[in-house]
Amino acid sequence: MSDDAGRTRVSEVATEVALTAEEGRPAVEERRPEQEACAGRRVVLSTHQLTKDFKGLRAVDHLDLSVCEGDVFGFLGPNGAGKTTTIRMILGLIYPTQGHVQILNHRVPDQRLDALRHVGGFVDVPAFYNSMSARRNLRILGRMSGDVTEARIDEVLEMVGLSERGDSRVGGYSHGMRQRLGIAQALIHRPALIILDEPTSGLDPQGMKDVRELVRELGRQGTTVFLSSHLLHEVEQVCNRAVIMDKGRIVVEGPVSELRPARMSVKFLTSDQPRAAEVLGRLLGVGSIAESGAESLRVTAGDGLVPEMVRHLVAEGIDVRAVVPAVEQGLEDFFLQLTGASSEGNDQ
Amino acid sequence: MSHLRREIVKVLFQRRTYVGWAGLLAIPFIMTIALRLSTEQPSEGHGPPFFSSIASNGLFVPLAALAFLSFFLLPLVSAMTGSFVIAGEAETGTLKTLLTRPVSRSGVLLAKWFVAVLYVGVGLVLVGVGGALAGWLLFGVQPLTTFSGGQLGIAEALRLTALAYAISLVGMACIVSLAVALSTVTDSSLTAAVGTLVIVLILQALGQFSYFDFLKPYLFTARFEDWFNLLRQPIPWRPIWEALLVYSGYIVVLVGVAVAVFRRKDILS
Repeated sequence: MSDDAGRTRVSEVATEVALTAEEGRPAVEERRPEQEACAGRRVVLSTHQLTKDFKGLRAVDHLDLSVCEGDVFGFLGPNGAGKTTTIRMILGLIYPTQGHVQILNHRVPDQRLDALRHVGGFVDVPAFYNSMSARRNLRILGRMSGDVTEARIDEVLEMVGLSERGDSRVGGYSHGMRQRLGIAQALIHRPALIILDEPTSGLDPQGMKDVRELVRELGRQGTTVFLSSHLLHEVEQVCNRAVIMDKGRIVVEGPVSELRPARMSVKFLTSDQPRAAEVLGRLLGVGSIAESGAESLRVTAGDGLVPEMVRHLVAEGIDVRAVVPAVEQGLEDFFLQLTGASSEGNDQ
Repeated sequence: MSHLRREIVKVLFQRRTYVGWAGLLAIPFIMTIALRLSTEQPSEGHGPPFFSSIASNGLFVPLAALAFLSFFLLPLVSAMTGSFVIAGEAETGTLKTLLTRPVSRSGVLLAKWFVAVLYVGVGLVLVGVGGALAGWLLFGVQPLTTFSGGQLGIAEALRLTALAYAISLVGMACIVSLAVALSTVTDSSLTAAVGTLVIVLILQALGQFSYFDFLKPYLFTARFEDWFNLLRQPIPWRPIWEALLVYSGYIVVLVGVAVAVFRRKDILS
C-alpha cells in the first residue's frame, strides 16, 4: 500500500514490484495510517503534513512520518531530497509553511522550548565555539538544556572517544573530531530523541565504524535515534526502520529488514541471448532483462519464477548452461529505483 | 541570567575581544604622547575638541579622546560588535547549535545585545581610564576650566567625565542596536557592519546640511556632542535629557525590530 502522496510501504513493495515489472520500479498506492507505525509503542517524533516552501520551491511536501520509542530510524534520501530542511523544522530552526512537528506531547514550532528539552542533535556540520575547549563547549551547551555535571561531560567525551582531547581548543579539531563532538553535545543532557544529520560525513573508515557502532549502542540502550543519511548501507547497518525521501516526499517507509524488493536477479548462461530474452519477455512476472556479458542474461523476477523460466527456455530448445544468482540487488539499486520512479512521476 | 553569563563567557574567550580593548586603551596614550612630544601644540579653536586644552591640563585627555573617537572609531567598534551578534554566529554556524537548545530566541538576542553594549562600555571605560592616566602622567592634572569660565575640582571633573562617557555609551548603544537589527536580516557580519556604518555616515551627513535642520533633533548622530553641555555652568540638562530620549527611542525601536525579525527568522546557515 502507499499513500495518495506517493508514499510506498516497504512491506508492500515486493508485491508492487512484481506487478509493475515492466518499469522495474515500485508502484504507488494508498497511505498507511500514521498511528499504525508504532504498534503500541510511544510515538516520540511525528510530522503532520509538514511542508516548507522556499521562494516558490517546495522543499518538503506534506510530510507525515512517525518515529517510535526505541527506533533507530533512518531518514534516507539523495542530496536535495529535503532531509536537512525537515530536520531544521523538527529542531525549530525554520518555520513550516504548513503542518507541524510533534515531539512527545509538544508541538513544534508552537511549543519549541518544551519539545527541545527532549531532543539532542545537530544539523549539517556541527559547529562549536572554536576558542573554547570541547569540555567548555559541552558545559555551555549542555547547561542550556538542564543540569549537566562534569561527570556526565567526562562520560560523553569517553563515549565519543574524545577523552584525551577534551581540554583542547575545538579550533584545532579535525572534521571527524567535530562530528564526534557533535554527537557528544547531542547526548549530553540524556534526551529522549537524538537527531543526527549525516553523522559519518567526512569521517575516515574507522571513524565511520565507530560512529555507527555508537549509534547501534544507543539503539540497544533504548534511545530513540533519528539518523539522516544518504548512505543506504549505513542505514541498513544501524537502523531498524527507515523512510526514503525524494523531492520533499516520502517514497517508501517501513522496517529496514524489508527495505529491499523481494524480487531477485538471476543470470542465465546461454549462447542464444536474443531468443532467450524473447522467450523470457513473454512470461508474466518477469522484470527487467538485460545482456550481462557475452553469454549471459540478467533477469529480474520473483524467486518462484526461476524454474518456470528454465522450463520455458528448454521447451523452446534454448540451451541453458547454468542459472546463477546475480549479485544481490541491494538497497542502493532499490533506492535508485525508487527515487528514479519519483523523478519520473514528478516529470509527468 | 544564564543567557548573559553564557554570552559573557563567549566574549571573554575570543581573542578579538582583547585586541579591540587593547586598541581602545592604546589610543589615549598614543594621542597624549604625540601631543607631549609635539613641538607645536594645537591652538584654541583648531583641531579636535579639547585638544588645545590638553597641554594645560591632563584632565582634558579623556574628554578629548571621547570627542575624537565618537566621530568614527567608536561607531566603527559599535557597528562591528553589534553586527557579530547574530550574523557572526550565523557565519560560524554556532547560531544553529545554540538554537537547537531549548532557549528563547528573544532571550538570546537581548542577552547578545546587552553583552555587545557591555563590550563597548568596557572599551569606553578603558579609553576614559587610559586617558585620565595618560593625562595625569604626561601633563598633570588640576582644576578644570569649563566653557563658562568657571572651574571644577578634580573630583567633580572626573565625575562629569564619567557621566559624559555614560551618555556616549547610550549613543553608541544606538549604533549597536542598529547593527544588531541589520545582523538579523543578513547572515554576513561584514554586510551588517558596513550597512550600519553607511547609515550612520548618512545620518551624520544629513546633520551637516541646514536644509535638513528639521530632522536634526531626531537624528541620534546629531546628539553625539550633547555631553559637551556638562562642561557649562550651570549645566543645561535639557539637551542632555533630550539626547538620552532620542537615543532611547532608537534603541527601543531597533531592538524591537531585531527581536521581531529574529523570532520569525529561518535559520538556514
